[in-house]
Amino acid sequence: MTPTQEPPIQKSGTALSTLRELPQNFWNSIFRNPLPSTDLERSSTSFTNFFLHIHPVKVNKNTLRPAYTMGLGLMATFLFVILVVTGVLLMFYYVPSTTQAYDRMLDLRGTVAFGIFLRNMHRWSAHGMVAIVFLHMCRVFFTGAYKRPREFNWVLGVLLLLVTLFLSFTGYLLPWDQLAFWAITVGTSIAGYAPLVGQQMKFVLLGDTTVGQEALLRFYVLHVAVLPAVLVLLVAIHFWRIRKDGGLSRPAVPAAPAPTSGVVKLKKIYGLQGFVRGPFTKLGNVPNDSVFSWPNLLMAELFVFVLTISAILVISLLFNAPLEQPVNVMHPPNPAKAPWYFLGLQEMVSYSAFWGGIGIPGLMVALLFLVPYIDRTTHGVGKWFAKERLLANTIFLSMVILNVIFIAIGTFFRGPNWSLVWPF
Amino acid sequence: MTVAPKSHDKEAATLDAQMPRRRLLAWLSGFGLFASALLAVVSDWLFFKPRVTYGPNARFAIGKPEDFPPGTRIARDVERVCIVREGNKIAAISTTCTHLGCIVAIADTGFACPCHGSHYDQDGNVTGGPAPKPLPWFQVTLAPNGDVVIDKNASVDPGTYLTV
Repeated sequence: MTPTQEPPIQKSGTALSTLRELPQNFWNSIFRNPLPSTDLERSSTSFTNFFLHIHPVKVNKNTLRPAYTMGLGLMATFLFVILVVTGVLLMFYYVPSTTQAYDRMLDLRGTVAFGIFLRNMHRWSAHGMVAIVFLHMCRVFFTGAYKRPREFNWVLGVLLLLVTLFLSFTGYLLPWDQLAFWAITVGTSIAGYAPLVGQQMKFVLLGDTTVGQEALLRFYVLHVAVLPAVLVLLVAIHFWRIRKDGGLSRPAVPAAPAPTSGVVKLKKIYGLQGFVRGPFTKLGNVPNDSVFSWPNLLMAELFVFVLTISAILVISLLFNAPLEQPVNVMHPPNPAKAPWYFLGLQEMVSYSAFWGGIGIPGLMVALLFLVPYIDRTTHGVGKWFAKERLLANTIFLSMVILNVIFIAIGTFFRGPNWSLVWPF
Repeated sequence: MTVAPKSHDKEAATLDAQMPRRRLLAWLSGFGLFASALLAVVSDWLFFKPRVTYGPNARFAIGKPEDFPPGTRIARDVERVCIVREGNKIAAISTTCTHLGCIVAIADTGFACPCHGSHYDQDGNVTGGPAPKPLPWFQVTLAPNGDVVIDKNASVDPGTYLTV
């Protein structure tokens, strides 16, 4: 176990025994630890494995309560993994050209093995990721998890929501069907309403004055290279800070009285803990409410992963991703609708392009960023809908409901020429 | 480990105070880095802003005046203009909705947008819906060979006609 231990001097064995031990030796050189059966081995497993060392050796029991996190952050991560894998596979058959893109969509349906299935997985995971990231944000708000010292991780989370939306938006254009073309025409026109830089921004985003080949190429590069890289970087910092902010949020536990009479005398701080400063790593007076990551946390993660991928597989088998008519730049579909998560925006835009598309959404996003710096109270952390947080939760919930109402109106109650219709 | 850097910092600080030249150099290099970052942003912007676009020409001929008999209102969806001829006067009105860029269709009362329900009258003035501005009118000229030429880069006041 200990690295300093001298390996026992062995007589050079026969060639036969070397050969016989080769598989075992090879295996041991990869996996330095046996399957853990003691606490020390459980620690070593998390510590020495590249893929596992993102986990702490021990996690708080509260972190593993399904009813607390609902696994939403993990689900978003796994959906992103599915999106990367299916997205890379789709890239092998896709050409970002106005003359070929739509045909390639038809090829995915007709000639590519599993093409239709991969596209379904990619589309439904994308929808799922937008929804789950939003729900994850709601969970963090309603449990007060954004409070000190986790303020900046909330800011990163809001950034991640925006990047997710932008990824979804750029991916929307790629099939080059009617929906894609007109949704992007409307979407980029909204950007054009931004004060001062609006028109310039629209021009640079599209690479032209109208949606065309340049826009398709730009959106493609953003979608497959730039934005995923940004997202991965932000996710890495997001995860890193979970560890550095002391794990997931949880109810404050009154600290047990620190041992006074030399029971634990901190002469020496062991290993990496010597570098961890601040109030979050406590030695000696921590209530014993943590469990080993192996196997408890890993099992929970595996469960969420299986749940996520099963859901996506089943949905992709049952429902095909929509593909509309090829682009006809002369005839917008009537009504021309954006994807569902932008329909709230489109509904607001139908009242006023500036206020609905730039003013109010910009204000909302700014407020979201500022949440942890406006609400400086520290109570009610780690509990769903804590009584002490009634005001904050009510405000946030009203915003969520308002958003859902606008999306519902845009989705179900708007017909040709954006007139009100009764959907039933 | 924790003590060493502190004493080092302190030494450096006293050294700095004694050596204004070193501090000046630190400032200068900091400023240089900041300026380079700024320059990078500007050059990125220049790079991403295309100098040439590949779209159709903004100035184009549509044919002879005789092709558009008096009373004509034809929407040319490719160029996104509506050709209007009244008597011996010709004008070109944009059919790109001023709201969010959809193509407006010719309606009995003028123009109607299918995307968000904006309505315009015969002259392109907003009569309803979220459109913030009237539809622009484009400059119409007569080429030496007698073709009617429209320039979408040149807007004219609504009601400006070319007499042919």
